Amino acid sequence: MGKPKVGVYGLTGCAGDQLVILNCEEELLDIAGALDIKSFPMAMSGGDENCPLDIVFVDGTVVQPKDEEMLKNLRERAKLLIAIGTCAVWGGVAAMSNETPREELKNKVYGPAGQVFDTVVPQPLSSFVKVDLAISGCPIEKEQLLQAVASLLHGDLPRLPNYSVCTECKMSEYPCLLVEKGQLCLGPITVAGCKARCPSYGRPCIGCRGPVEEANVSSEVRLLREKGFTWVDIQNRLRTFAAPADCFEDKILKEGANA
Amino acid sequence: MHKSIVIDHLCRVEGHGGITVRIKDDKVADVNMDIFEGPRFFEPLVVGKNYDEVAPILMRICAICSASHTVASLMAVESALGIKVSPQTRLLRELLVQGGNIESHALHLFCLAIPDFLGYPSAIALASDHLQEVKMGLELKKLANTIQEAIGGRAIHSVNAVVGGFGRLPTRGALLDLKEQLKRGLEQSLATVDLVSGLQVPDFCTSPDVYVALSSDRAGYSLFGDKILLSTGETKDIGMYKEICNERVVAHSHAKQSLFKGKPFAVGALARMVLNGENLSGQAGKARGKLGLDTVSGNMLYNNAAQAVELVYSIERSTEIIDELLGAGIREEKPVEVEARAGTGTGAVEAPRGTLYHSYSFDKAGRLTEADVITPTAQNLANIEKDLRSSVENLIDQPKESIAPKLEMVVRAYDPCISCAVHLLEVNFE
Repeated sequence: MGKPKVGVYGLTGCAGDQLVILNCEEELLDIAGALDIKSFPMAMSGGDENCPLDIVFVDGTVVQPKDEEMLKNLRERAKLLIAIGTCAVWGGVAAMSNETPREELKNKVYGPAGQVFDTVVPQPLSSFVKVDLAISGCPIEKEQLLQAVASLLHGDLPRLPNYSVCTECKMSEYPCLLVEKGQLCLGPITVAGCKARCPSYGRPCIGCRGPVEEANVSSEVRLLREKGFTWVDIQNRLRTFAAPADCFEDKILKEGANA
Repeated sequence: MHKSIVIDHLCRVEGHGGITVRIKDDKVADVNMDIFEGPRFFEPLVVGKNYDEVAPILMRICAICSASHTVASLMAVESALGIKVSPQTRLLRELLVQGGNIESHALHLFCLAIPDFLGYPSAIALASDHLQEVKMGLELKKLANTIQEAIGGRAIHSVNAVVGGFGRLPTRGALLDLKEQLKRGLEQSLATVDLVSGLQVPDFCTSPDVYVALSSDRAGYSLFGDKILLSTGETKDIGMYKEICNERVVAHSHAKQSLFKGKPFAVGALARMVLNGENLSGQAGKARGKLGLDTVSGNMLYNNAAQAVELVYSIERSTEIIDELLGAGIREEKPVEVEARAGTGTGAVEAPRGTLYHSYSFDKAGRLTEADVITPTAQNLANIEKDLRSSVENLIDQPKESIAPKLEMVVRAYDPCISCAVHLLEVNFE
């Protein structure tokens, strides 16, 4: 097999997950040697914007029709589409208040002159196309990216953790910020992979990696209520990075609040 | 004669933008720097959030200048809530911002700009003929990320810098380790200055500029200050930033444009060099002379040279900060306790691309009622259009294929951060 043909693209976002690729300073030239990078507009000019691709990495989220069109075109071109970063996987910070009408936001920001801009309710990539692999994180962790690239070069998809930040935190024996210190920590419902980065700095997990599989959100909400957090505090924290996820639906949050 | 020049998608810049030039009767009729990065509506979205949630959200406006957003945001929150942080916290935050400055300038110079001057499409292509130089650029970038990790807890989107201080303080050993790495970094930054001094800087985009930067809050060059300095001789308090960044909405751009008294102005490394460059000392002061930045040229392509000088400055200053921290001894201190109260405050930092303002209001429960963020790229957009116009006027007799890459070069010299520019704030229409 020849080198896989690869594209790296960004929809709307901070480009932080593409930057993580460029931040693999020690590995970058090897990665560039092992892959046939056809296009990476943030880092190179003159890319091939039409050729079929074996793998496409996409960061950012869909907030306008142009993003949707670009995403669908990338899906058609690529055998494997890999969502990188919480924006691509869950909608990210742009999607924290999707119940607010876009017209209202547009008016607040641009006034009447903003009417010419076309926007849609921010959604993760999987709302529009099939996603073959989702690597979350805000931004993604370098080690997970490198592992994914290594697996893909062997023709496999990598195994990503299906346990929580809380598990990683316990394994490192950090003091529990939620139970012992009464802080608003989302470790129990957030997917692992960061080695409990925030708790390692004595800071509560704010859920930037999105929810773990089968996250027990109502139990988390109940616990936070017991610790004395207000409904507004809890909702604000839960609905920051992955608000469109099913487990953060209003109904589920209220179940926990009323239990 | 050409009728129009359209560059659909600028490469090697952060975010999505393009250039459209319309020509009528051999004259430039219209120049648009098109911004079609989608809007994320950050400012209305943070309304209602608790004071400690604001920085973690708004730092995500941008990955490359995340450290500057983080610190400007924390300063605005603390100014609004009347929180005074310790000198140690201020030094550590400055170190974080210097790390961000090194990372951003190294990325821009080696991966985005230098390939232009040497005629390569990317740093990877450049590496095939200039491997040592590219490796040096990557090592400088890595050093900067190591600083941001050591202080901020993560290279992109700090987790450790919080309202009132830091979650965990760096150990003496970690700081000594950074200091050691900075020694090699200084040599590499000086080699970068040598490399940049050998590049031919074309003069097709020369036109008079008004420059704006924060005025240093201490002796010497600085990325912090509470006054805004203009090359017209005027100064303003940072709380009056709206008088300078008078924003307007234009149809071809999701980013608003800033004008001062109806005229465009430039912010960034070159603006800082023009306004504060004489305060540089050490190797950075020498580098400034070597790259010809002691005279004002009005040529934005020199911004790359200014970034090279700042690489040296930020590395020298990082070493100074570490010496100061080690000299005083790291004091184990917890973040300042916060008592929520109503208030309004502004924070400003010289981010890699220029002056960055965050300004917030909170209600008495400490929930945000209004946010305003003005990024350097948004301030530069009108000036970019001005420079594109004068460049096309100077180049109009050349074939289209040769004009387009030169226009891209002009835009890239500003090192635009388009995600940042599309930041979207509340405006008042008269």
